Amino acid sequence: MATLVGRASKQALLRAHSSIIHQKANLSFKNLSKGKKWAVAAFGTLTAGGVGLAVALNTAVLASDLTLHPPKYPWDHAGLLSALDRASVRRGYQVYKQVCAACHSLEYMYYRNLVGEIMEEDEAKAEAAEIMVVDGPNDQGLMFERPGKLSDKFPKPYPNDEAARAANNGALPPDLTYIVNARHGGENYLFSILTGYCDPPAGVEVREGLHYNPYFPGGSIAMAQALYNEIIEYDDGTPATTSQLAKDVCTFLRWVAEPEHDTRKRMGIKAIMIFTVLLTSAYYMKRAKWAPLKTQKIAFKPR
Amino acid sequence: MMSVGRVAQLAATSQIVPSFLRPLIPPIAQKADKLIVQENEIAKTHYSLSKQLANLKLAVSASRSLAGTQQTRCAHTDIRIPDFSEYRRTDNKSNRKSEDSNLMRGRAFTYLLVGSGGIAAAYSGKAIVHQFVSSMSASADVLAMAKIDIKLGDIPEGKHVTFKWRGKPLFVRHRTAEEIESEKSVNLAELRDPQHDDDRVQKSEWLVILGVCTHLGCVPIANAGDYGGYYCPCHGSHYDCSGRIRKGPAPLNLEVPFYEFTDDETLVVG
Amino acid sequence: MGVNTVSIATKIYQTLFRRTSTFALTIVVGTLFFERAFDEGTGYIFDRINAGKQYKDLKKQLELRAAKEE
Repeated sequence: MATLVGRASKQALLRAHSSIIHQKANLSFKNLSKGKKWAVAAFGTLTAGGVGLAVALNTAVLASDLTLHPPKYPWDHAGLLSALDRASVRRGYQVYKQVCAACHSLEYMYYRNLVGEIMEEDEAKAEAAEIMVVDGPNDQGLMFERPGKLSDKFPKPYPNDEAARAANNGALPPDLTYIVNARHGGENYLFSILTGYCDPPAGVEVREGLHYNPYFPGGSIAMAQALYNEIIEYDDGTPATTSQLAKDVCTFLRWVAEPEHDTRKRMGIKAIMIFTVLLTSAYYMKRAKWAPLKTQKIAFKPR
Repeated sequence: MMSVGRVAQLAATSQIVPSFLRPLIPPIAQKADKLIVQENEIAKTHYSLSKQLANLKLAVSASRSLAGTQQTRCAHTDIRIPDFSEYRRTDNKSNRKSEDSNLMRGRAFTYLLVGSGGIAAAYSGKAIVHQFVSSMSASADVLAMAKIDIKLGDIPEGKHVTFKWRGKPLFVRHRTAEEIESEKSVNLAELRDPQHDDDRVQKSEWLVILGVCTHLGCVPIANAGDYGGYYCPCHGSHYDCSGRIRKGPAPLNLEVPFYEFTDDETLVVG
Repeated sequence: MGVNTVSIATKIYQTLFRRTSTFALTIVVGTLFFERAFDEGTGYIFDRINAGKQYKDLKKQLELRAAKEE
């Protein structure tokens, strides 16, 4: 068997072509034949068109969809290399603490996460000390309450999901830790929800206990409008308009969902630069190593 | 057929060095016309396969005899040399300079690029290794639990308080003047694990030790035992008010963890 | 691009690149300096792009506000 295969392949390798065996340095696009140029152009057009179609289909607004899609807002941190605005994150924490925390938990956040990110250690300690945490058991085997420490999680408004549903007309306020990544549209969606409450248009019925919000899938949301002008007073004196409050809390929630945000973008600059150098070097080395092979021509002319 | 073809293989070449063996043929530039090559026979045997190989000496040959041919060179005039300028350095494209004069610069440039690639690779390699190695160190939640702040104002003199620290009981004792006095004056020769009280405390009033018996790991009881310090109920080891073993099976004194007083009111252990 | 550049290139080539050992050493030493310079440089670029947005800027603001209140 092996001999057969060997013989067949040797034969194929040894078979002389009817024309000259022709090796040619063929790198640049301009040297391609007309047909090949057409083929490459067609392939490129098809690929671009396919990608474009996929994107278009993915973002298409369906007529059957009763949801208003959020616009894209110019977030401070939206750029490729833009960091989060920490002053805004800090204000957003204030909004969360004074407004959202009444119903929504931040289950995976610890008070120590605030240190060096939006506040100093003693400030964070003071924040933590405001809550009471059940600890124990003590010497007598009893649970006891103590003021919070940096190693404690943020407090939950309800002990469990059932209690949360019971208190909210059957609707469960979602945990907000990863909400920015968990919802289509991210901050844009959250901002639109928070600021998008309005009267239902004619013909739309909203059930008792629900509220109309065109950005919410289906239009009826159990959460009432939470943010109003001057509902809280910012520590840094920023005017607390509804949109300011919504913007700050969305920025805060982006930071909560992605605390590594700034580090990631800092790394992005480095990655772009290093890979440019590596790619240039690799391409040059490839050409240098291949040059002897690419610059020889072997012609075999049987007469 | 084939053999005739192969003999004709060198017909297109000319000898540029005169030899006795072959008549001098003046080199004639032939027009590179379109080649018409006959269909190959289908090679079915080893013999016919071997006939497809070029078995003539196509390249340089030098004779050993002084009188004979010095060199035979085949200069092709019928093969067009393709344009390789894609692959040539810009410096070398000039016909007026020899390539050797640019050799050093070219090499220096090549190695410069290779070297900068090497530096970039070393940098990223170090970053990756650093990332993986540092992932082995303690995570933030462990580090957050690793330290404990103790407010000293909450512990009155003569009182002993137990804290939970890194999963172990931590004893903090506010010692009275008599306790300090008696512990300082202990004769070290009497001790099983000789250690002066000054080596075990930073401030004489505050004794900070781990509440794990050095015998088999039980938690000793405070203010008990023959020496007024700690007593392990499991096998009856007696410790004094400096946490030193005085009686019973335990071999060593109670361990003192790393701690510091950040100010007069706070003790940080860990 | 005169005789000078050629001789400098030749000198560098002969002292650093010609032997594998010196070439490797050049890369290692180069990496040490490059790492520092690159980290500083990219950090500076990032700080320039995000002037006034990061925690260090917020910290300065907070200190200013605290000083004002006192």
